[in-house]
Amino acid sequence: MSKPSQSSVLFDALGPRGRKRVAASSVGSLIVVLAIVGFAAYQLNSKGFFEADRWANPLDALVIENSWLPALLNTLQAAGMGCVGALVLGTFIGFGRISRFKVLRFLSGVYVQFFRAMPVVMLIWLPFTSLNHIGVNVNSLWFVVVGLAVYNGAVLAEILRSGINALPSGQAAAGQAIGLRHGQVMRYVVFPQAFRNMLPAVLAQLVVLLKDTALGYIVVYTELLRTGRLVGTDYPQSYLQSLIIAAGVYFIIAYTLSKIVSVVEKRTRRKVPKAAKAVAPGLSAVGGGGVTVA
Amino acid sequence: MKNLDEVVRLFAEGLWGTLWLSLASFALALVLGAILAMMNVSPAPPARWAAQTYTAFFRNTPLLAIILLAGFGLPKIGLRFEPEQWALITLGMYTSAFVGETLRSGINSISLGQAEAARSIGLTFGQSLRHVILPQAVRTVVPPLGTLYTALVKNTALALVLGFPEIAAKAELMINQDVSSVWAIIIGLVVCYLLINLPASWLISRAEKRATFAR
Repeated sequence: MSKPSQSSVLFDALGPRGRKRVAASSVGSLIVVLAIVGFAAYQLNSKGFFEADRWANPLDALVIENSWLPALLNTLQAAGMGCVGALVLGTFIGFGRISRFKVLRFLSGVYVQFFRAMPVVMLIWLPFTSLNHIGVNVNSLWFVVVGLAVYNGAVLAEILRSGINALPSGQAAAGQAIGLRHGQVMRYVVFPQAFRNMLPAVLAQLVVLLKDTALGYIVVYTELLRTGRLVGTDYPQSYLQSLIIAAGVYFIIAYTLSKIVSVVEKRTRRKVPKAAKAVAPGLSAVGGGGVTVA
Repeated sequence: MKNLDEVVRLFAEGLWGTLWLSLASFALALVLGAILAMMNVSPAPPARWAAQTYTAFFRNTPLLAIILLAGFGLPKIGLRFEPEQWALITLGMYTSAFVGETLRSGINSISLGQAEAARSIGLTFGQSLRHVILPQAVRTVVPPLGTLYTALVKNTALALVLGFPEIAAKAELMINQDVSSVWAIIIGLVVCYLLINLPASWLISRAEKRATFAR
């Protein structure tokens, strides 16, 4: 590695004996890891886990076309709609939380506390079961979307609030000092800066939202996990394999997205000190901002 | 509501189930998470790789997928546990990935100067970890660990797919018996989760206050 990890200071620069010791413990831990993996693989193999049929059947071209692809699209659809809903709700509630009006602050506070106290499963399942009992039929996609949007809206509102509160109050004061109205201060001074700071947290929460679409399973929405079980019932020999495929697809999507989020996080983190440096020398940088757009 | 006693009894049972399950799996998560954090800062690459793989898997796979995989999939190849045990194991392993990351970032949050100072007065690796780094790391880690616990309490609701007798499963039972009381049950549900999480966050903020120190 080019950059030494933080924890490396805990060690002395290793001498020949230390290097040998680390090498020995590396080999030792490698053996332990391999032993565990090997034992698990041996056990699985003895149960026929790796038999080609068990994997080939649920991954048949026809099954992929008729089950897995629609399931993937359903998952992405629920996630996409949930994201939009959560962002819209989160923005409204978040600005309600920091509103100048006490009633708005109180109401959005109640909203956030209530929905953050509930498990997401219940937010999806309760409307589903209540409506079912009354006899109203709604596409189960909506329960997933609404449940996820309502819950993540509360979480995003909190992120928005803390992102705006984290900004030094001098920023808003400076905006007011040059004669901007409250809304203008928010729009041109506070929000653009807060947005950059909270972007990683928001994106990370949206990845969580995508993972949570798996809860659609509870309301019989045919997303990946439900499909995994359905395929597993069609091929009882491949029951475990089907579930692993479903979980694997979730993993691949979420893992890729989290990697992207951490790249964004690194970039936003790098930008902030640079911008601060550019402003520091004099007042010249102030005129360059977008304040005069109004 | 026909029978208030019955409702109160069911909720109390569910509350006990959730409390028990969340505490037990959090204990498991703390132990596993500490091991993961140690593997993550260890000088042996294979240990780091193993910890990273474990963490990446559990952080990026939906908890419900893990629970179904363990509770319904693994028994097919002969790995049998009681549903209660599966609930505890999966919740504990899932949370441990997050605990491990929290502990690791706690260790990394201690400024390099602290470690350098400890090293420069001649403490060994173990001594500097025990007397300088960890006492400070533990303090920075208390609030995020508390957040993880409150999230875990809500995640226990997923154990209902395994038939674990916690609050959500009890609520499901009650609604299926009498759907007209759905509003009362929703309120009861929220009250139950708050009954666990409010004292928990109070305890956490107390622990946080006691753990903070001038830095």
